[in-house]
Amino acid sequence: MSDTTNRGRILYHLALADFLERVRRYSFLLTMGISIYLGYASVTGQLAMRFNDERGIFNSAWIGGQMAIIASTFLSLAGFYVVKNTIERDRLTRVGEILASTPMTKTLYVMGKAISNFVVLAAMAGILAVSGIIMQLWHAEDPHVDLWKLLAPFLLIALPAMAVVAGVAVLFETIPGLRGGFGNVLYFFVWSLALALPVSTAEKNGGYSFDWSGLSVVWDSLRNAANGPRTHSSFSLSIESVSQTHSGITFLWNGVQWTTGLVWARLFWFLVALVFTFLAALLFDRFDPARGRFLRAAPVPTFIDDDPAENRPPAEPTYAALSLTPLATRESHFRFGAILLAELRLMLKGQKWWWYAVAAGLIIACAAAPDASARGMLLACAWFWPILIWSKMGVREIRDQTSQLIFSAPHPLARQLPAVWLAGVLLALITGSGFGGRLLLARDWRGLLAWLIGALFIPALALALGVWSGSSKLFEIIYTLLWYIGPMHATLQLDFMGSAPGTSHTLIPAFYSVLAAAMTAVAFLGRKRQLQT
Amino acid sequence: MKLVIDGVGKQYSGKLWGLRGLRLELGPGVVGLLGPNGAGKSTLMRILATVTRASEGRVLWNDNDIARSPDTLREVLGYLPQDFGVYPHLTALEFLQYMAAVKGLDASAARQRIDELLAVVNLAEARDRALGGFSGGMKQRVGIAQALLNDPQMLIVDEPTAGLDPEERARFRNLLSELSGERIVIFSTHIVSDIEAIATDIAILGGGRLLAHAAPEDLLRAVEGKVWEWVIPSPEIPAAKQKFLISASVRRADGVHIRIVATERPASAAVPAAPTLEDAYLYCISSQRTSAAA
Repeated sequence: MSDTTNRGRILYHLALADFLERVRRYSFLLTMGISIYLGYASVTGQLAMRFNDERGIFNSAWIGGQMAIIASTFLSLAGFYVVKNTIERDRLTRVGEILASTPMTKTLYVMGKAISNFVVLAAMAGILAVSGIIMQLWHAEDPHVDLWKLLAPFLLIALPAMAVVAGVAVLFETIPGLRGGFGNVLYFFVWSLALALPVSTAEKNGGYSFDWSGLSVVWDSLRNAANGPRTHSSFSLSIESVSQTHSGITFLWNGVQWTTGLVWARLFWFLVALVFTFLAALLFDRFDPARGRFLRAAPVPTFIDDDPAENRPPAEPTYAALSLTPLATRESHFRFGAILLAELRLMLKGQKWWWYAVAAGLIIACAAAPDASARGMLLACAWFWPILIWSKMGVREIRDQTSQLIFSAPHPLARQLPAVWLAGVLLALITGSGFGGRLLLARDWRGLLAWLIGALFIPALALALGVWSGSSKLFEIIYTLLWYIGPMHATLQLDFMGSAPGTSHTLIPAFYSVLAAAMTAVAFLGRKRQLQT
Repeated sequence: MKLVIDGVGKQYSGKLWGLRGLRLELGPGVVGLLGPNGAGKSTLMRILATVTRASEGRVLWNDNDIARSPDTLREVLGYLPQDFGVYPHLTALEFLQYMAAVKGLDASAARQRIDELLAVVNLAEARDRALGGFSGGMKQRVGIAQALLNDPQMLIVDEPTAGLDPEERARFRNLLSELSGERIVIFSTHIVSDIEAIATDIAILGGGRLLAHAAPEDLLRAVEGKVWEWVIPSPEIPAAKQKFLISASVRRADGVHIRIVATERPASAAVPAAPTLEDAYLYCISSQRTSAAA
């Protein structure tokens, strides 16, 4: 067998095994559920593409364009979190160590993982493409289904974008600092920036140089079709009611004119995805724990240390010391304070000095900022800073494999879980104390109550999502979205922190207090379920 | 102090039974739980440790059903699972302090107990080092220490000697022997030599069922006259393996000395040998396989 054939075979099996392992997990159904929901929302008209507040007649071109844009925008966010676990899975299952001992190259391995990522993302986008056909038949505004016009945007807009996401996902997994929660949070900001910037650049300068998502390709074509000015046009994907979808002005759009240059410009993104993959291969540590430690900012303490005293072999065992003094009483006492402190210590252990410095800086800034709006923004930052600590709540026992030890201790539901939640609340109270202190001094009791509800809500959400998903990721994604749309953009309905000046005078804090209670109950139910398996 | 396992079974998804119809009654002493891989040992351990619920039957701790009131057992339980993790950023001391708090130990008693335990498991010098840098054997010793924190009346240890070096294995066996007086110790393993010297009772599991539960002496008596030693040339080993149940083989200058467990003398040159617990265990397992095949 030639070397090339052999490499191809390895690549095929790597991607296939990874894909099969994914599709045979229950979480894959959830993954497909995201696409099915997006497809359903599009078919029923709840998710609609608009240009200058008008929509195109539901012909193959418009529907294909809409589905491709949904894939490029929504799936490039959700899909990243879905696929960014392929190398981590091999690390956790320790299959990686076995693979590392084979002649397989780093490039082949990472390439196989990127291909598997791409196949999963393409399957998700494929559901949207199929939904497109259903959508056209459902609305029947133009009964003629033109397969090329319907599927070309999927092939030339959605798939290249999915390839980029697949490459970025493996790249994030191979960079030690981006592998975990920080990477999950960072991607959200990278994604929002990467989506918006190329479109505005294309609007100003023309061309699609950085438009990986293909948004400006569709926008440009729509502008040409509408024959309007290059400026003052708007383009949106909006959530609306069915009646809205069927009302309003419509126009005819026959789709993007796929010139050779445009096709190459889109196919170029497959090349970019390949570059990301090669870069990932370059950075991949091949499951070498020593290299992983070396690359971390601060090494995890190891048995081998620079201190010669630490390197001394353990003392000779003393066989005489084998008896244990029996405990005076074997009864266990309810020492909630001790458990709470232990949980708090566990939460904060391993944080670097600069983490505390930034947290302290934000507390001081919250207390000292003169303007209420600035204070609100600073509180949002102060309560975003511990996100990676909260996201481990309810997950730690599974992640660190201590569940059997903790769950076989007395009253795990009545003692340990409340302590975890309360430790999270304490962390929120401490990190938000600058803002809370100001409210207290100002005797703004309503504001203080709203702030307190925020401090109860965040750990409750983290605990519930952690216990039920068994992963930090879900909280990191949902909390970042909530935080970004709510407190950061002063969207009143999502201001769970009570950071905006007007929030405390509305019913919103009351809503979040009920939600906090519900989330706590959900977390308890989840843990009870874990205990009863 | 009594533990009654009354018709316990565990069914996994796919209708596969990991354990079926198990009945045992245990009092103070060390029970060695033996069985090949997949025999259901760890499933039983998890049920007894209240981590998993049985699909059928019940487990009574001093007449309390542990499925209904698991905390009656948890209050006095020490458990070392086969696979467990530790919090990598905590030191050995901090981890034990954390576990002591979770188990509800009195603060001053916990301090003293942790000091003693760290000395007993030979980790006193490593007490302030982060667990993330511990070797597998050192983590296992931390696991042993946490299981003994509350001076448990019932101690369940699942493959506790995995990852320990021979010296530490001997040390652990001695410790367990020392502790076995007024408590029930369930020691699950597939290494017969681990429990040979300390078990007061031995239970053998195979295919999810209880094959034998007896004192070691009774198990040995059952294979009395069924163990043979035979010296054969090396090339004949494959044929002998096909034909007989070989419990041990040692290569010497005059050939390979093999131990055979068989009801009848395998060859005229074979001489009777004193049975060991390993022979008794293999005999029990192979009998079950033969009857299952029949």
